[in-house]
This record gives sequence, C-alpha cells and structure tokens, in this order.
Amino acid sequence: MTATVNKVRGERRRPSARRRREVRTAYLVLLPFFLYIAIWNLVPLLFGLYLGFTEYNALSSTPKWIGLANFKTFFSVPEYGALMWRQIWMGLLALAMNTVISFALALALNVSSKVKGLFRTAIYVPNVSAVSATTAVFVALLNPLADQGLNRILTSLGGAAVTWNYSAFWMTFWIVTYFVWQRVGPAAIIWLGGLQAIDPSLYEAARVDGANFWQQVRYITLPGLKFIAMYILLTGIIGAMQMFDVVMFISKGNPFGQTDVLMYRIYRDGFINFNLGMAGAESLALGLVTVVFALGYLWLQRRNEDE
Amino acid sequence: MKRYAKYLLKGSWLLVMSVVSFLFAYPFVYSVLGSLMLKSEFGNMGTLFPIPEHATLQNYAFVFSIDGGFAPLLNSLQRAAWYTLVTVAMAVLCGYVLARYDFRGKKFFLIAIVAAQVVPSVLTIIPSYILVSRIPFMGGNDWLGRGGHGLINNKLMLFLPLGWGSLLWVFLFSQSMKSFPKAIEEAAEIDGCGFWRIVTWVVLRLQGPIVAVIAINTALSNWNDWLTPFLYINNVADSTLTAWLATLTSNLQQFGDKDYPKVFALATVAVIPPFLIFLFFQKYIIQGIASAGVKG
Repeated sequence: MTATVNKVRGERRRPSARRRREVRTAYLVLLPFFLYIAIWNLVPLLFGLYLGFTEYNALSSTPKWIGLANFKTFFSVPEYGALMWRQIWMGLLALAMNTVISFALALALNVSSKVKGLFRTAIYVPNVSAVSATTAVFVALLNPLADQGLNRILTSLGGAAVTWNYSAFWMTFWIVTYFVWQRVGPAAIIWLGGLQAIDPSLYEAARVDGANFWQQVRYITLPGLKFIAMYILLTGIIGAMQMFDVVMFISKGNPFGQTDVLMYRIYRDGFINFNLGMAGAESLALGLVTVVFALGYLWLQRRNEDE
Repeated sequence: MKRYAKYLLKGSWLLVMSVVSFLFAYPFVYSVLGSLMLKSEFGNMGTLFPIPEHATLQNYAFVFSIDGGFAPLLNSLQRAAWYTLVTVAMAVLCGYVLARYDFRGKKFFLIAIVAAQVVPSVLTIIPSYILVSRIPFMGGNDWLGRGGHGLINNKLMLFLPLGWGSLLWVFLFSQSMKSFPKAIEEAAEIDGCGFWRIVTWVVLRLQGPIVAVIAINTALSNWNDWLTPFLYINNVADSTLTAWLATLTSNLQQFGDKDYPKVFALATVAVIPPFLIFLFFQKYIIQGIASAGVKG
C-alpha cells in the first residue's frame, strides 16, 4: 500500500527537478571515470594508428611520416608473414587442444562426488597463478643435459636425451602444453556450466527411446553446447592472438626463430630495438586480424541473446 | 554384477582424475621442493622430485629481506589493493547510474563499454609506452614532452594506468541491478537518503556477492599482471613480484649461473596469495567467469 503511494508521489515529482538532478549525478559520476580511461586508452589507440605510418627509431627522436612504407615492408618481407601465420596456427593449435581437453575434463567433473572439489581446485589453480611465476619450472625440467629434468626419465628408460631447445617440434609442444595447463581451468568450468544447464529430462527421453551414450552426446549434449563452444573458441582466439609471454619465457622463439610469433616480435621491435614505427605497423596488422575475430564473437553473442 | 561394474567405473574415475590432478599440481610441488635448497644442491640433483637433503629457508629469507623481495612484495600488495578499490568504486557508481537513471547519452556510454572490449591490447601497448615517456614536465621533460624519460621508471606507473577492460565490471554491475528491487532504494529516499548514501549504505551492502566477484577477480588479475610493471619499470625495488619474476625467468634461458631455487622461492610466494584466495572464494571466481566470461 505505502509502496504504491510512494510510487505515485515519485512519478508526480519526476518531470523537472528530480530528472535534472539525476542527469547531473549521472554525468558527474560517469565523466571522470570515462575521461580518465579515454586518456589512458583512446589517446594511445589514436596515436598508434598514426605511429604505423612513421619512421621513428628512438624514444628521443621525432616520428617522421613515411606513408605506407612500413606496411610495404611488412607485406614484402616474408619473415613478417611467417610470424603472423605462426601466431595464428600456434594460437589455433593451443586453443584447439585447450577446448578438447577442457571438454573432457568437464565431462569427467560432471558427476556427484565428494572429492570433485579437490580435482577442480587442482586443474584451476594454474590459472590463478602468474605466468611469470610458473614458467620457471618448465624451463628447469627442459634442461638439455642427460641427467637433468625430464631427460632423466628418458635416459633411465633407455632412450636418448633430447636437446629440447634445439627442436622446433618439442618447443612448440611445450608451449602448447603450458598454454593448456595454464588455461584449461576456466574453459572446463564454462563447459561444466553448459553441461549442467541442459535439461536432464532430454536424456531420460532419449534413454527411453533406446539411445546409447554416444548418441546422447551427439544429439543432446553437443547441440546444447553450441554457443558455449563458440564462446570459448572466439574469446580464446583473441587471447591466443596476443600470446607471447609463454613463447618468451619457454622458448624465446628458439630454435633460430622457429617458434617466434608476431606479438613477440612487436614486443622486441618496440621495447628492445626501438624500431617504433615498424612495431606500430605490425601492431596494426595483428590488431586488425584480432578485431575481425572479436567482431565475429560479438555478432554471435548478439544472435545468441536474440534467440 | 551390475554393482561391481559401478564400483569399477567409480574406481577408474578416481584413479584417472587423481593422475590428472597430480600432473596439474606437479609444477607447484617441484617449485616448492626446489625452493627449499641451495643453488649448489639443486644444480647437482636434477631429479623430478628434488627432495632436499639439507633443507633451508635461506631463499625465503631472501624473499622477505629488505634488499631482496620485500619491496616488490609490498608493491604487489599495494597495487592489487589500489586497483581493486578503484575498480569496485567505478563499477558500483557507474553501474548504478547506468542501470537506474535515464539521461541523454546513456547509450553512448553503453556502446563505449562494449566497443572497448573489442580493442585488442596489441594496439595500445607500444603507443602507450611512447606517450608515457613524453608526458610533459615529468622525468626531465620540457612542456612539449621532450628531453627526459617521462614516467618511465617511475613508481607511479604501478598505480596510474587504467585499462578499459575494467569497464566490463561496470557493465556486469549494471546488469546485476536489474534484479535489485527498486522499492528498497525508494524507501531509503523517503527516509532522506541522497545518491551517495543510497549507493554506499544500501546498494553496496545488499549487493555484496557481485561486489565480491568484481573485487576478487580484479585483485587476482592485477596481482598476476606482470607485463605493465615489467615494461615500464626497470628498478626491482619499484617493481612488483611477478614483474621481477618475469625478468628472472626470461634470464634463465641465457647461459651462465642460474639460481633456480631463488626463483622458485619468489614464485612460491607470488602464487600463495592467489591460491588462498581461490581456496576460500572460488565460488566468486567461478561466478565471475560464468557471467563475465572474457576474463580468464
């Protein structure tokens, strides 16, 4: 009763004074935060669009407009294309492994058990730990000496020791392994949420109709998880396209740049070689590819919400 | 017969999951064991389970010593606390007005939040560094930003930048206000509460869970963000624990004398706070992924 009275009174007061006060409060709250964020993000973004078209070789010098020259270099020197391509396929490989393994883990965790929480903690903790704090163990285990780290198992089993950092295959393998170890937790939890959201009566109906386990997975589970899969893949690829920390810590792009990726090159061109104009052009190229993926993701999300 | 099959299934599930969990936990076990010995002992050992014969806490003494890891540890704590405070304040205040008030330009703010999520960090990382080095009147710069190094190597860089990824939490909070009964705020208004009192006394208290989601996820991601301090600050005493670890870890690839146990001790200390937060607040972390998703 009182609530209705209040509401009526509130509505009668609304048109002028109250409305104006709300608008003022809203702008007083929003503008400082948004302006501050724009200074730290929008200004660099705009400056970055300009940077790619300049020659700028040291922080103390001034950028010089050279038009499309950096982009001509980017598209004519095969090394850059190779780096971009490796960023994409290595990212996709890591992401595919992560998606499949996290799905398997989600299926395994989708049971009722007292020890489930323990297992969930074990697979999730790598993700709440800093990448810079956990890669050192991998470096130590990949010691090339025959009696050190993982080589010790190989040699004790009668195999030959592997000089890990001389092999592009093994370095890629360990980069992908680390990536999955570090990122599988959240993906598994998202899958698990999706699995638990599927109506259990669908499975019951299928069982009555005589569907076996694989048929249930094929016709109920997978279609029910379509958007979750899209979500994991597309948000994952945005992360994978910016991935360079794992490469930097585990392989440094070795052997001979065979595990190098474009993002790591951007970091080196910018912060070590101070070839800032070129780094800007590389950033724009990689950024453009990433934005295409991100827009694809947003489009899917919208379609998901409309349904 | 069927009961035996069930036990067998349950048993093999336990076995497989135990092995998987062990593999996931193994790097931490290795790191903790390795941190308990001296460089010389670790170097000669090389086993997969470096169980120390002469266990020592010397590396941890280094981590907590004034000339060692104490300053970066303190910086890490301050940085995580500061960004948690700023992000929660921003999310609650901005989220509240976007959810409740009707004003011209509201749509612009909402679009800006979504658009910011699409822009990859690669586009701003290099130009940000250049602009920070060119901030006028700072670090020996003149009014045009020339001559000095701006805020590069300045400890302020631990606290000043605010990425637009944090706007996601504004969106999340404004979404959560949809299920918050308006009648409570109206009652508070009748009692004479203005905007600030409604937000700080009524909304903030009753929205505890969503605030916890924002605070915990922000604290974790800032504690673990090694990149920003790593890029902007060279001086260990002004840097953070994870940024210093980034320098030490990338140096492990080089030839020369490597002090793994010291790195492991620092890494263990850097992992313990997030680990404890996960143990006690995993509900909020998981809710954060489920609702915001993008953070991970």
